[in-house]
Amino acid sequence: MFRDPVGDARHYGSMYTMADYKSKVHNIYFNANYAATEKMRLFGTVTYNMAEAALDEVLMPDVSDRLVNPAIIPGGVDLTHANFDFEGMPAYSDFDYKMLSFQLGLSYKITPTLTFTADGKYADLTDDAGYVFGNETGSFYVIRSGFKVDF
Amino acid sequence: MKKMISIFSVGLLILLLPVALVAEENGGTDKYSLWIGSHYTDFTDYTKSVGEYNLGNNEWLPELGFKYLSQRDNSIYTLYGHYFDKNNVWGKINTRVGDKFTGEFQYRSLVKQMGQDLLVNAEAREWLPPDTGGKILTHEITDPDADYKTHRQEFTGKMSLLVSHKNNVRLIAAHRTILKSGTEQKIASTHCFSCHLTSKTAKVDNRTHQFETGVDATVKKFDVGYRLAYRIFENNAPDASAYWDPAKHPVSGGAASEFASRVIYQDATLPFDTYPKTEKMSHKMKLKGDLGKGYFAGTLNYSKAKNKSTNLATTAWTGAANYTMPINPKTRLIAKIYGARLRSDDPWIDLPTYRDGAIDGNFMDFDYRRYSSQDRIEGRISAEVITRLTPQMKLAILAGYTKIDRYDYPIVGEGTETNKLTAQAKMYYRKGLKYTAFLKYRFESISDPFVSGFGLFEAAGYQNPLLDPLVPTSNWVFYFQREALRYQSVTSQPTQVHKFEWRSTYRPSNKYYVMLGVKGKLDKNNDLDSLDVKHLSIQPHVNFNLMPDPAWVVTAGYSYNFDKSRVPLAVALFDG
Repeated sequence: MFRDPVGDARHYGSMYTMADYKSKVHNIYFNANYAATEKMRLFGTVTYNMAEAALDEVLMPDVSDRLVNPAIIPGGVDLTHANFDFEGMPAYSDFDYKMLSFQLGLSYKITPTLTFTADGKYADLTDDAGYVFGNETGSFYVIRSGFKVDF
Repeated sequence: MKKMISIFSVGLLILLLPVALVAEENGGTDKYSLWIGSHYTDFTDYTKSVGEYNLGNNEWLPELGFKYLSQRDNSIYTLYGHYFDKNNVWGKINTRVGDKFTGEFQYRSLVKQMGQDLLVNAEAREWLPPDTGGKILTHEITDPDADYKTHRQEFTGKMSLLVSHKNNVRLIAAHRTILKSGTEQKIASTHCFSCHLTSKTAKVDNRTHQFETGVDATVKKFDVGYRLAYRIFENNAPDASAYWDPAKHPVSGGAASEFASRVIYQDATLPFDTYPKTEKMSHKMKLKGDLGKGYFAGTLNYSKAKNKSTNLATTAWTGAANYTMPINPKTRLIAKIYGARLRSDDPWIDLPTYRDGAIDGNFMDFDYRRYSSQDRIEGRISAEVITRLTPQMKLAILAGYTKIDRYDYPIVGEGTETNKLTAQAKMYYRKGLKYTAFLKYRFESISDPFVSGFGLFEAAGYQNPLLDPLVPTSNWVFYFQREALRYQSVTSQPTQVHKFEWRSTYRPSNKYYVMLGVKGKLDKNNDLDSLDVKHLSIQPHVNFNLMPDPAWVVTAGYSYNFDKSRVPLAVALFDG
């Protein structure tokens, strides 16, 4: 560790502050099943998830009066070459996700032992604060169809 | 893998044997259904979050599902399965033959996709512009196009066999295997003289096996049981390795031998972030039955977990007992007691001498014995009185006490004792089938919760003899001397906790109902000098269920979760 010209260690303790980390998560869902006829059944699902989280602005106290070391800078403060600004910290902790997903499907009984099915799902994620993994915005859909046979 | 397949084949045969036997029975019901279809998947932009567990291709792929149910007078057999693709498969077999035999076997397989930490926050430099320089933090992604994903397969099986109606002697056996394979990201961190993070792709190939066997029986008026369990985790993938930079001054690049004498390794390719081979053996005994005017249930457990890679072990004794007894026709008492003792090995950490052979006398031996913060003895006791106030209303009042005695943390031989007092009230209300309500409040008062010993704050070293040179003839002051400046233990654990919960259901008819509720928690710690640690969470929710006519079923709901944590952030102020 560096020492000043008169031999004292250039160490001035630690500084701290208190900060709030907040997260807010909303979840909404809607499911419906409808037996349209004796042969046909319809179903659907919608879900929406919105999640936000962030650390409040980090405001460290003014500690310049503790950094006075005349042997380094007469009349001034030490450590002026270092950046103790934490403006980037809240950005790194930011989280802002929105996820919409919906699914629709039907089944139709062609005969008492043969049923046709079809369904599809779509999901969309919007990332408004991408950081650790980059921007994670993306979407996908899957569609599916088939026949069920009862024995 | 062949050995695994053999084991599961034997398990399947054991389950299928009763099926063959019941198939000989006349009558009964057999139902089969087979679904054959196809699916098509399409992704846009970043796929690893929205499609974390969804893999697919821009082409139609086959998909298959089946169900089978066999029912006889004395037995039921079911078989379910679904094939989405070769990595997403599920199957389950259930067998029950009277009260003599039950068996279940399940296989689940899925793939989890994982993103890559881009390490963009790991980029800093000591000096401010325009005089940029000084120590520097950098990162390197060696595998920018990596596609991390792991395939998880799980096999579970459990069986129960009644071997004697006399004393109801029943044998139990269960098994669970988890296999994980694929790739994952690992990040190597070099020493502070080069402050350099390196991201690498590592193979994943590990497995967990769990076995449990035991016996249950009835002895006189008590049900007794014993379980022996064994679990092992092992990694078969090659260890990830990284190159550690040569030691040198971070700015000038000189003084290589001086910096090399301060670190344990440098200028070498070494394994890092390795998986240990671990195993755990446990014994559990249980006893329950009527005792006096009430009902007793108790368990006693012993377990030993061992890291076979380091030959370190942790042992645990735990015991719990509950006793429920009526006080009067409207009131009953539930008394509970729990005890635990945890001990971990205390290894000797043998390190190379710091600045070994330094002629200026500034060398240091950092060898030490590591004591575990897990070492503790814990006791809990509680009593709850539940009484019916009116035909519609029930009240439960609980009081409890917990004591945790840590032997060696934060100071060897001077561990902290945590004491917790708990008080809780719960109210239940029911008005026929139309309206129900539940209300709960819980308060906890905790003294000396678990702390981080001297882990956050440093006193000033300037003009402080604690940062004088170790050797009077030397001008050197070392980073490790800052340990002497550390003060005040800190914690995010509370000394007071308030919990609140309310939920209510209104069902005016069989066609619809509404459920409303809210949960809340506020905890804080007022015992920390100058720190104001507290947490708040609130979770309201509402759910609807509508069945306006036999053709329609509609459910909907909303929930909100708010969390706020007030935490300290600290940074040391020094140069060098």
